[in-house]
Amino acid sequence: MDIVVPVKMVPDLVEELEVNAEGTDLDRSVMKLRINEFDEHAVEEALGLKGRHGARVTVLAVDTGDVDETLFTCLAKGADRAVKITGDFQNGVSSHTMAAVLAKVIAGMPHDLILAGVQAADDRDGQVGVLLGATMGLPHVSVVTGVEPAGDKAVSVRQEYAGGLVAELEVDLPAVLGIQAARQAPRYAPVSKVRQIMKTAKLEAIAAPAVDAGAGSTVRRLAKPEVAGRAEFIEGSPEEVAERLYAILTERGLVK
Amino acid sequence: MSDLVTPAREVFRNFPAALISLFYGLSTLAMAVALWGLWQRGRKYWRGRPADRWHALGRRLLRAGAAVGSHTTLARRNVGVGLAHAGIFWGFVALFVGTIIIMIDYDVVRLVNPQWRFWKGAFYRWYSLILDLLGLAFLGGLGLMMCRRWIQRPPALDYTRPDREPGAYSRSAYTTDDRLFLWLLFWIAVTGYLVEGMRIAADRPAFETWSPVGWQIADLFDALGVTPAVNRLHLWFWWLHALLALGFIAYLPYSKAIHMVLDGVNLAFKDDLAGKRLPAVPEAAAVPGYQTLADLTWKDLLDLDACTKCGRCHVACPARAAGAPLSPRDLILELREHAEHGLGGRTWLRERQVRPAGPAMTGAVIRAETLWACTTCRACMDACPVGIEHVPLIVQMRRRLVADGDLDAGLQGTLEKLQRYGNSFGQSDRNRARWTQGLNFKIKDARKEPVEYLWFVGDYAAYDPALQGLTRGVARAFHRAGLDFGILYEGERNSGNDVRRAGEEGLFQLLAEKNVEALARARFNAIVTTDPHSYNTLRFEYPELGAAYRVRHYTEVLLDLMRSGHLPLERRLGGVATYHDPCYLSRYAEVMDAPREMLVTLGLRLVEMRRNRQNSFCCGAGGGRIWMGDTRVAGVPTAAEQRIAEALESPGIRSFVVACPKDVTMYRAAVKTGGFEGRIEVKEIVELLGEALAPHPALSISPSGPLRGAGGGRENTGGGVAGR
Repeated sequence: MDIVVPVKMVPDLVEELEVNAEGTDLDRSVMKLRINEFDEHAVEEALGLKGRHGARVTVLAVDTGDVDETLFTCLAKGADRAVKITGDFQNGVSSHTMAAVLAKVIAGMPHDLILAGVQAADDRDGQVGVLLGATMGLPHVSVVTGVEPAGDKAVSVRQEYAGGLVAELEVDLPAVLGIQAARQAPRYAPVSKVRQIMKTAKLEAIAAPAVDAGAGSTVRRLAKPEVAGRAEFIEGSPEEVAERLYAILTERGLVK
Repeated sequence: MSDLVTPAREVFRNFPAALISLFYGLSTLAMAVALWGLWQRGRKYWRGRPADRWHALGRRLLRAGAAVGSHTTLARRNVGVGLAHAGIFWGFVALFVGTIIIMIDYDVVRLVNPQWRFWKGAFYRWYSLILDLLGLAFLGGLGLMMCRRWIQRPPALDYTRPDREPGAYSRSAYTTDDRLFLWLLFWIAVTGYLVEGMRIAADRPAFETWSPVGWQIADLFDALGVTPAVNRLHLWFWWLHALLALGFIAYLPYSKAIHMVLDGVNLAFKDDLAGKRLPAVPEAAAVPGYQTLADLTWKDLLDLDACTKCGRCHVACPARAAGAPLSPRDLILELREHAEHGLGGRTWLRERQVRPAGPAMTGAVIRAETLWACTTCRACMDACPVGIEHVPLIVQMRRRLVADGDLDAGLQGTLEKLQRYGNSFGQSDRNRARWTQGLNFKIKDARKEPVEYLWFVGDYAAYDPALQGLTRGVARAFHRAGLDFGILYEGERNSGNDVRRAGEEGLFQLLAEKNVEALARARFNAIVTTDPHSYNTLRFEYPELGAAYRVRHYTEVLLDLMRSGHLPLERRLGGVATYHDPCYLSRYAEVMDAPREMLVTLGLRLVEMRRNRQNSFCCGAGGGRIWMGDTRVAGVPTAAEQRIAEALESPGIRSFVVACPKDVTMYRAAVKTGGFEGRIEVKEIVELLGEALAPHPALSISPSGPLRGAGGGRENTGGGVAGR
């Protein structure tokens, strides 16, 4: 089975974020990027499948900056192939363009299963998997928390719903899945292994094919949240604290 | 017996020639059996990977010889055991050398030229006296050890394993070996004396008064009127003695008696910096660390066989004390069993256990949870009288667990943060010096201007909001004393000490490289650290990476400043305090006096805990443990809680003083979780310094507070230091 995992770089929230002068995007010049957490789970799910059933795992990343280390880390964790899609992406890339580029690139490589993170922390629109499925004409399931082969031509997937409900679906291959969580926490990549891979392995680079997908949506204004509201620290004995809490809750009609 | 005018004795008295031949035959057999066993063991060590322990061989041998001869490592903190063992040791040496002397005189010199025989006359007299008296020391020592093992039964000699279910193994064979060993030696000595007494009783040569014990036994035979009867038994007893002794020789390499051969050797090849400076991973290694027996060095294999099961590490280990499935003793013994199984050189009486199939050692024979329980506090290595190096072995196996991704989620998360941000708090490296914002002076940037002291602050001191106040306290004290110091600001990374000990060697190298680079760019005379863990790696490990600097702990620097009058105290503090030695400051860095002197200079009365200085008890944070999930074992106090309780054993102690950022975190938590609130307060030494430097006396710890009132009466009835 050939599994393709497209991963995306998102801003590292540990660093302070700045809005650009136009007020339409983050200031990318001072931003550090890291792999989208859901994509990390998609990679883990692919590697888990490889470990249990054997597979060839290819990790793809559109080069929005800082992707090399992420791709090397994926190789160190056990991915077979890491491909960087190069182009003019330094100012980020919309889901529509991302999906269009990925669709063309993936179409040119063997793919039975495409695992994408269900959404990314920067736009939260969860569209890449859906668009990929639509563009490539493949079945798509989102919010997936586990994948197992079901015969040669299908996979059985677990899809999570609100309230702890889980659906089990069978999907024909090839298919696109939006991964919510791998069945186990993403594995650790020891530094020595990553460094060794950096010395011995090479990342493949594919120039991004020309696409005209549009942005889908545009940001009109981006601003830091305004400071609002205030906190009250309740001090005193447990009885006093409880009394005050009760007073607040009844005041707001939360307790009758 | 007119031919024996000069003092001497006949070697084979009343022996028919056939019996003499039988004796030589049996001796040869016993020695052959022993040599076979020694060969088997030697071959096992030969198969080990190389270890560089051959440099300064002369000094090593001298040091080991001195340690064995004087019993310094054995008698340390165990004077009684040391004396008893010294009796056995020197008694055995005397009796063994005595036997060799007879062999040389009778079996060599006599055959070459009988005129040259020397085992007679004055030599014989002194020989008799020394052997007779040291034989008593031998028996006395054995008696004490028997009482200790079978009557006193200290916890160290309890073979129960914390890392296996009670029914999963049986160590009755170990107990049998102990009995066999002690009783064999005992009966060899007793039969020796009886044979001597019988020989003397037969014809009472006057010079045999130089054998006082034998003479007394002969007197006893006379008094009992059994002399004629025992004369007939002499030959039988001679043979009994000989068979026991030959049996012992044959038994030696297949039993715990092998420690007589191996332990001096093991001490000689001991690494002085074992644990302090961990072995690097060889460039050629495909995967780091130890996975199977084939990965062990010959010194590792020797370590395994050197263990006498004395249990000192077992009782010193904080992980075991806190109920974790780790005992350094059982780790070593389990590996020994595994190595004997796989590489031969076997002990005769072994543990009975269903052994895991396959060659996997790490994670199978030694379970992952056992390896992760270690705090790398080095208490085991410090306690071990025979130089076994537990901590490097554990780290080598952890390296493999890390390579296999078999690690705790909390630890993995922290390592990922360290990879990405260079600190264990997962904060931006740009915020590393944010703690300085509360100061009303600017700390020099050592990357930009030269300083005398480069202060390596460390993650906890720099990032933990609960500790930043203390860090500023150190800065203020340095500043007030006019110390020329600076920091690396964003250039500092986690030193990697505990990363390395958690088994993430690659990450250690990465962090260390960045620090080495930053240090190379700065200009300074010496490094001062807040964190004893950083101290260790900077001092002992960084030199191998090209960064050899003088390293000092801030308590050393502050004490210097106090002594030289640069830190005049506003007031002297009162009250009783105890000082907890951080593992990495006492056992690793061997800085123990500076903090104590500081406390005394500050005016505090210092009361030592039962375990102090290098015998200190770990807080449980080291070796990456502080990054792992909550590891409390239900119903067992944590190591830190046990330590606070230990401090409270001594009456009047209200301040528990520490000199390590991690200790503040660990012990403040332990005071809360252990229910000690209101009875004792955890103080960082720099807080106390700050109080003594402050002009307002209101900040002092008052000598008569509610603490004394509440705790005094109860504590005064307690045992205190001397009671234990």
